[in-house]
Amino acid sequence: MGEYALLYILFAPFAGALGLIFVSNRQPTLVRGIAASAAFVSLVASLYIFYGYDPVQGGFQFVQKFAWSKELGIALYLGVDGIGTPLVLASSILLFAGIFVSWHIKDRAKEFYIWLLILAAATIGVFMSLDLFFLYFFYEMSVIPMYLLLGMWGSHTKKYLEMTDPEGLKQRDSVGFIFNFGSNSKEYAAMKLVLFLSAFAVAALMGILLIYKFSGLNTFDILVLREQANLMNIPVLGTTLDKIIWILVFFGFASIAPIWPLHSWSPVGHAAAPAATSMLHAGVLMKLGHFSIIRVAFEILPETTRELMPIAAVLCMFSIIYGGFVAFYAKDTKYVIGYSSSSHMGYVFLGMAALNYISLSGAVIYMFAHAMATGMLFAMAGWVYDQTHTRDIPSLGGLSNKMPFISGCFIVGCMASIGMPGTVNFVAEIMIVVGSWNKYPLQVIVAMLGIVLTLAYLFKMMRGLFYGPMNQKYSHAHDAVGTVDRLPLLMMITISIGFGIFPMHLYDVVRSGVDPLIARITRVVPVADGGEGVEGGRGAAVVTERPSLPMVSNKPISQGSEVSRGGQE
Amino acid sequence: MNFVLNLSFSDLLLLLPEIFLTCWLCVVITVDFVSPQMPKERLAYLSVGGLLATLGCLAWFDVNQVSGTLFGNMFVLDRMAIFFKIFILGSTILVILASIEYVDRFTLFRGEYYALVVMSALGMMFMASANDLLSVFVSLEFSTLGFYILVSYLRDDLASNEAGLKFFILGVFAAGLFAYGISLVYGETGKLVFSDMASAPATPGLIIGFLLIFAALGFKIGAVPFHSWIPDTYHGAPTPVTAFLSIAPKGAALAILLRIFIVALGTFKPIWIYLLVAVSIVSMTYGNIVAIAQRNIKRLLAYSGIAQIGNVLIGLAAGTKMGNDAILFYLLAYLFANIGAFAVVIAVSQAIGRDEIEDYRGLGRRSPFLAFSMLLFLLSLAGVPPLAGFIGKLYIFIAAIKEGLYTLITVGLINIVISMYYYLIVVKQMYINEPVDPSPISISGSMKAVIYVGLAGTLVIGIYPQPFTEWVVAATLMFANFMTPAATVSPASLLVGS
Repeated sequence: MGEYALLYILFAPFAGALGLIFVSNRQPTLVRGIAASAAFVSLVASLYIFYGYDPVQGGFQFVQKFAWSKELGIALYLGVDGIGTPLVLASSILLFAGIFVSWHIKDRAKEFYIWLLILAAATIGVFMSLDLFFLYFFYEMSVIPMYLLLGMWGSHTKKYLEMTDPEGLKQRDSVGFIFNFGSNSKEYAAMKLVLFLSAFAVAALMGILLIYKFSGLNTFDILVLREQANLMNIPVLGTTLDKIIWILVFFGFASIAPIWPLHSWSPVGHAAAPAATSMLHAGVLMKLGHFSIIRVAFEILPETTRELMPIAAVLCMFSIIYGGFVAFYAKDTKYVIGYSSSSHMGYVFLGMAALNYISLSGAVIYMFAHAMATGMLFAMAGWVYDQTHTRDIPSLGGLSNKMPFISGCFIVGCMASIGMPGTVNFVAEIMIVVGSWNKYPLQVIVAMLGIVLTLAYLFKMMRGLFYGPMNQKYSHAHDAVGTVDRLPLLMMITISIGFGIFPMHLYDVVRSGVDPLIARITRVVPVADGGEGVEGGRGAAVVTERPSLPMVSNKPISQGSEVSRGGQE
Repeated sequence: MNFVLNLSFSDLLLLLPEIFLTCWLCVVITVDFVSPQMPKERLAYLSVGGLLATLGCLAWFDVNQVSGTLFGNMFVLDRMAIFFKIFILGSTILVILASIEYVDRFTLFRGEYYALVVMSALGMMFMASANDLLSVFVSLEFSTLGFYILVSYLRDDLASNEAGLKFFILGVFAAGLFAYGISLVYGETGKLVFSDMASAPATPGLIIGFLLIFAALGFKIGAVPFHSWIPDTYHGAPTPVTAFLSIAPKGAALAILLRIFIVALGTFKPIWIYLLVAVSIVSMTYGNIVAIAQRNIKRLLAYSGIAQIGNVLIGLAAGTKMGNDAILFYLLAYLFANIGAFAVVIAVSQAIGRDEIEDYRGLGRRSPFLAFSMLLFLLSLAGVPPLAGFIGKLYIFIAAIKEGLYTLITVGLINIVISMYYYLIVVKQMYINEPVDPSPISISGSMKAVIYVGLAGTLVIGIYPQPFTEWVVAATLMFANFMTPAATVSPASLLVGS
């Protein structure tokens, strides 16, 4: 393996998909075997790069470069830094888990695995692309498999989009009724997802093309562009070009994240998708947005980022609060988790908007942590749906008798999603909150409120599914007993708790990616700027003195847990 | 104008592909007359054999960089001409293979069908080499003559007759415009060869003349103000003919458009760029929006073809060498995706007998191979990575953004999203909806071969475009030399391996 590890990670799923084409659906064991082994190769190689990545050295490692088109200045240029590495790991974990979660798919299993593998490989491709063209290439490639996965193996959202408040009155959610035109079909959800994402992706493509033209370097190489491209101070349409590019790139990619006004495709897509697809969708597909913003906007336009990132700080409040409230009133399990995801993605935007070492590292770790937590929840919601064929929370209940293992895991999943100490989510949340406090106190308060909301809707859903009187209609439901069914959940729980207790390596890796980025963005900070000066100063101290890291991260933890406990009461 | 009358053997070498194909055409017709009882399938393979031999000859020309001009610059063989000839022959071969089964539907003249297809191909090969207005006119009419007959080949089908009539009337009208345009241009400049006109001053007569010529060629490629024949003709014509019509004449007409706009009118770029931008925007938007409303797959592909031409015109509007490269590359991607999509349409219509989009219900269950191929072809037309169409679109956009055509690119990008909608409607019918009649669909061997070629082209160009970009760059390199009049190769000079 060694330096070719990235190629194994990226091309093992593609090779698996290619191999599956030649296998018949009449050999289900072989089909699953090929899919699982392709995902396994990817997983092992990502573990290798995660632990093989040298945080002291930093920068882009495991670099591979192949000329692809000389005329257009495109190269297949792969490499991971501290930001890409954990996300690549998260993608391959979720792919591996997703294959086991969908082990019992009967209808056209081969096709299902083909599209799932392509989807995962495309997202992995984005996380390791160092070429703008290939970043967009893989980004757009991940959209079409979603259409087929939703359309062919998804389920109609039925009347679950109608939400009721505790008195039984109908809640007219804008998403369910205005933007969705009252449509509940999976075809609608799939089409909406594709058109929404494509429409914003082409905006991002326009931004990329403008970077290509105005840099004048005839290359899409991110590393060359970030060093040499001079896009500042070109007046266009009454503003400057860099702002236009930044807005195009930011909103183009933020739609998949999904930031608040552009989120309406996402929960509907979650609700219609099969379990494994929801896992990948919420776990890694949404992170493509944040990641691409970091890779394109932060790297190439650092000064504009400093100027315009407050936009994200404003929008993330709406994401957090709006998503939280809708999740509280929703009746559909997947709809709850879907909205909780889009609410939690607001934290990542908050961490990114504060633009300092602690908060941005927190945002990256949060992406990893959220992938695990939401992956678990979607896997279990999928299990409950497979057993009962409903996702309607009020009609379920008392399932903990029937499925003790699942309900136990569900509690862990909820705890992880809330950010309970001991899970990696806690580390991330605390870093975001502490890092952003100086710059955006209002947003931090809103985020705290969001944690309370998370607690409320997840406990409400947990009670609705697993406790209380049991609906006799579902007495045939059974627990996950086999290794195949338990493995993915146990794996994600282990990783979530493992990194929660021992976050050091993850933290070091992420910091090694975040530090140079923040250093670039804050390079020209005026001394008079108080808030940033303090943050920058602390960050600089951390960079020079690596051994002092645990102390820095320990101090905030005690503060932060008080705050979150205070919010709970 | 210096006519070289004593043609040497080496001059005729430049014409070898055309001469050979003409002879082969006679062979095909003769064989059909001599043994009428012979299965018509053999005629198809006979024609394909001749076309393949011609293709091989052209490939040899391309590798050895044979080039030169004949008949006082009327006929030019440069690498761009060779590219377009290979393009035309490739599409002709695929169309003939795809029509073998379909030909059984014709009540009469099954043998002549292949001869007519080859004849049209021959006409289009001359179009690719035409270097002055007269030879353009003659070769254009020569190739269209075959199409007039082919479109109305289903004698008992009213739609086919209507298609033929509509195509004929509008086609003749376009020919009239063309002739009038030539007369105006000749009257103003006294020149017919493109490269001689380059320095002519822009008089009103010249501009009107070129506008008329553009209208006639716009009719051939189906750009928007001149598109009205396309949907009905595509719908009514026999499907293999529709496939042929949607690819080869567009390629040949684009070869002429490139020569006219870059060679003859290169100095007027600031003027014609507005014309091309307008036509391109209207074509893309109109084609894509109207395609949404279609219920018939052939009409859908017809409107999508109009939109694709809008995309191609972005590259022409860029007016640079890179824009020309992008056009050639885009045509390659379009060739494989479009011929593949039509091959699937033919295969489905052979099994079901209809070609409404509704009939594609559950194709994913009835024939996973056909459905998967159709999926890839449609996604390539929509421009989704990693398929050829995506690289083609991006190539064109990159060429255009270097010239600063921001409006055009914005419209093009928005149109990608619009087009995705109607392509996905077909995908939805194929994969998401359950079939009414779940019986599997069988495909003949030749049809499979066509679809495999389409798939291979779509995937290989998308995943590894480097050899193809090199090819198109080399193809317009020779053409770029012709862009300046001084570099025109003198008649009777044959450059082998230079």
